[in-house]
Amino acid sequence: MKLSSKVKKAIIALAILMIAVYSIFRFFVEPPAPPISVPPSVQLLESRLVGRKDGLRQWEILAQSVLQAGDSVTLTDFDEITMFQDQEPYLFIDADTAVWDRKLEILHLYESLVRDEDDGFYLESDLLIWDGAKETLTSPGPVFMLWEGLEIQAEEMLMEAQSNLVYLQDDVRIRDGSMLWRLEYAVYDLDHGRMDFYGSVVLEGEVGDDE
Amino acid sequence: MNRRFVGVVIVLALLLGGTSMARAEGQVGTLEITGVPADVNAGRYDRDAGVFSADVSEIVGALITVKLEDVTIVGKTMEWRTDDNYLFFTVDAKLTQEDFELTGDAIEYFGDEKKLLSEGNVVVITEDATVYADHLDYDEETDEALFTGNVKVVFSDGGLEGERFLMLLEKSELRFFGSFQGEFSDVNSDED
Repeated sequence: MKLSSKVKKAIIALAILMIAVYSIFRFFVEPPAPPISVPPSVQLLESRLVGRKDGLRQWEILAQSVLQAGDSVTLTDFDEITMFQDQEPYLFIDADTAVWDRKLEILHLYESLVRDEDDGFYLESDLLIWDGAKETLTSPGPVFMLWEGLEIQAEEMLMEAQSNLVYLQDDVRIRDGSMLWRLEYAVYDLDHGRMDFYGSVVLEGEVGDDE
Repeated sequence: MNRRFVGVVIVLALLLGGTSMARAEGQVGTLEITGVPADVNAGRYDRDAGVFSADVSEIVGALITVKLEDVTIVGKTMEWRTDDNYLFFTVDAKLTQEDFELTGDAIEYFGDEKKLLSEGNVVVITEDATVYADHLDYDEETDEALFTGNVKVVFSDGGLEGERFLMLLEKSELRFFGSFQGEFSDVNSDED
């Protein structure tokens, strides 16, 4: 079969066009990348984490295990957490686990013991929440505290680091030697040793006990 | 501090009824503030200063009550200084025991000095008499109660009025100072 020159040209042009189209798709348009499995978190070992506000240290943790997932940092296996006030350590916290939300500046401390050996301050709670922005330490559940000879129990507690005020709520019990206070709500000023009480109050004192 | 608290109440008990300290051993004294809404401040305990103060005078139905055994003291405001063992009740202040009742505008107890004072509209009601006065001064050491100012002693069969009246509790003796006048409806001279 003898093709006319026009047909031959058309076939050649078509072939060139097909090659061009193939080349464009082959070399210039990349196919979508296949899904890649990446680890969801980063685990660090023996890390020192420092929480800061306005450049000042608020807390510091030396942890054996740090697991980061997004904005959440989970710390386990650590000796203690040091809380700072005016750049000086003032509270030491032992906890089983600490979870730090970097964005919200909130540190959750599970199974916590807080102590200040100088003042004899001791605090125990299943969960403590340190809010870095507000500089508050909250126990949303039952809390037990020792401070200057007082034994304090409450169903909820909020401590303001700046003002050193402790807000105690629900079934508040304060034992001072053989005296037992039972209150609905109390605000304790740690700096001045003053307690304001709200609602009904019962104070029981046992006869014959020493101070 | 604990001893002071219970000490105050015990001494008041001793004053009013001869309640022995031995009887009070092992007892629990209580201070209650009732009728205060949960969001309303009822008072303050200043541990450094050793002062416990409460004021519920603006709260309808609220009351401060101290109890030990059968002695009860109530009022609307209270101050208790733990350092010198001082207790002060005002506004509807009342101290009661089984057979005794003291009311006054203010009731004060000076623990270190072992004195009880009551000022303004003082009324003491016992089984035998009712005494009205402007002022009551009780000294625990001497066991003497001195009523002064517009004193009126009302017995079941009459009464006496004067300016100064002393009760020597240990001796069960009554002394009237200055001019006193009174009336008795039925005097049985055969009893003397």
